[in-house]
Amino acid sequence: MSEKREGRIWIAGMDNVFSGQTIANLDMYEKLPQSRPVRVLPDVWVVKIGGQSIMDRGREAVFPIIEELVAAKEAGIQFVLCVGGGTRARHSYALGLDLGMPTGALAKIGASIPVQNARMLQMLTAKHGGIMVYHDDLEKLPLYLATKCIPIMSGMPPFEFWEKTPTTGRLPSHRTDAGTYLLGEFLGAKGVIYVKDEDGLFTADPKKDPGAELVVHADAGELLRNGPDDLIVERVVLEYLQRAKHVREICIVNGLKKGQVLAALRGRSVGSVITAEVPTSR
Amino acid sequence: MSSDLISGDGRVHVKSGLMRESLVSKALNEATEGGPIRRMVPDVNFIAIGGQSIMDRGAEAVLPLVDTIVSLRKHHKFIIGVGGGARVRHTYAIGMDLGLPIGGLARVMGAIEEQNRDILVFLLAPHGGITFIKDHLQDLPMWLDGGMIPVCIGQPPYHFFEPPPLNGRLPENGTDVGLFLMAELIGAKRIVYVKDVDGLYTADPDVDHQAHLIPNITAQELIDRNLPDLPFDRELLRCVERSRLLGGFHLVNGLKSESLQQVFDGKKTGSVVRASAERNFS
Repeated sequence: MSEKREGRIWIAGMDNVFSGQTIANLDMYEKLPQSRPVRVLPDVWVVKIGGQSIMDRGREAVFPIIEELVAAKEAGIQFVLCVGGGTRARHSYALGLDLGMPTGALAKIGASIPVQNARMLQMLTAKHGGIMVYHDDLEKLPLYLATKCIPIMSGMPPFEFWEKTPTTGRLPSHRTDAGTYLLGEFLGAKGVIYVKDEDGLFTADPKKDPGAELVVHADAGELLRNGPDDLIVERVVLEYLQRAKHVREICIVNGLKKGQVLAALRGRSVGSVITAEVPTSR
Repeated sequence: MSSDLISGDGRVHVKSGLMRESLVSKALNEATEGGPIRRMVPDVNFIAIGGQSIMDRGAEAVLPLVDTIVSLRKHHKFIIGVGGGARVRHTYAIGMDLGLPIGGLARVMGAIEEQNRDILVFLLAPHGGITFIKDHLQDLPMWLDGGMIPVCIGQPPYHFFEPPPLNGRLPENGTDVGLFLMAELIGAKRIVYVKDVDGLYTADPDVDHQAHLIPNITAQELIDRNLPDLPFDRELLRCVERSRLLGGFHLVNGLKSESLQQVFDGKKTGSVVRASAERNFS
């Protein structure tokens, strides 16, 4: 009944470049045609609202940013809002570390906090079309955008229990900066903007070192190799920027300064820009 | 731990060891390296069944393996994970031709593994086989104590958020990686990859008669050797090197019904790939 080829059940017409190969076979990739993947939602920005930097400041910081986001939407600019965790996420990690939890379990508990923040933003923007989007609803984004909603998501990627142990330490290396970036790269988005409480990237943490200087343009690879010990964005984002097909730069703006978020969404250069060094031909 | 609220810099912090930290600092991450990690579901064994190597061979390969697992279940607790095989390769070939981004390929691939999981649950159901989906990870103790054999897919739930790969052009977090991450997370006793080769060889034994079996090697050595082909995901080696609890994996030939039995009898069979440095502090 069932035909076999080389001991495996086989159906005529199933042959393809990967047939019988292991996924680890490096030579196989050389033979594939070089092509760039399609952009899923090319006109959409992905904007991340910082947890510790914005949400934990409360009304004073959050309300003016919402005003600018609503103005942008009214002007026809499309975006998906992601949000970070902040101080409660840090408390969760501190507690989990103290209790001997592995990285995947820390990522799981850490993921709850940005969901709280996303729900807060949804309530505040509901009258302007703010709508909560869970990872499983991602395929409904076109509907939400077409109906002029503001899709709001947790910035955390869905890795949770499957978060890898990092090379150093135990904290999850994919947190809300990474999830936001990976969403942007998947969508082939217009750009990824991080709204924080600093003018951009500094040579050191400006909250701890008053001598720190603003870096307007930085190279992702260079930052990983020779950058400061502390950075304004998660390190994995800088790694992925260099491997990415679409989103090869990110922008960091100061949400506490009026007009910056709107300006960034209008494509103006504000804050710091971090780019991947050489565009790959992959 | 105190839950004092600290303010004064415009943000409200929950007091913790990670308060005000970006969590990006290398020095901070190094400080989280030590300390014991607890095992969530100890004493369980993961069996990873290959898609192309075992499942696609049909009754001839699958039924004897199922019999072995059922017989071993009397003395050992198991979680069974399964890969996709020929239909995954077809999915990737079509998906890549259509220009799907890496996260899109990852999102559609899992359906094939779910088919194979359902096939194994069908075969194992008379002996306690049960579908284990990610949302029920915390139910594992109940199932295992009840004598059940949970069966799950291998691919980790990164879905649309699959990071751009380091090598190649397919999702690098495949079946082998996902199952290793799960075994590492719960602090399993061991993970055994069941494929259609006697173990890891220096070259393809069908082509090169000088090729010999590697019974025991570190993941780092394999990364350094950069062999053109491997019978498992390349990313698996990096996960082994970062492991804190599991420390390595077994690779055995599932076409020889005695090999799995031999692993549990403590006899030498197949190959063992282990981490080069002990990272276990517990």
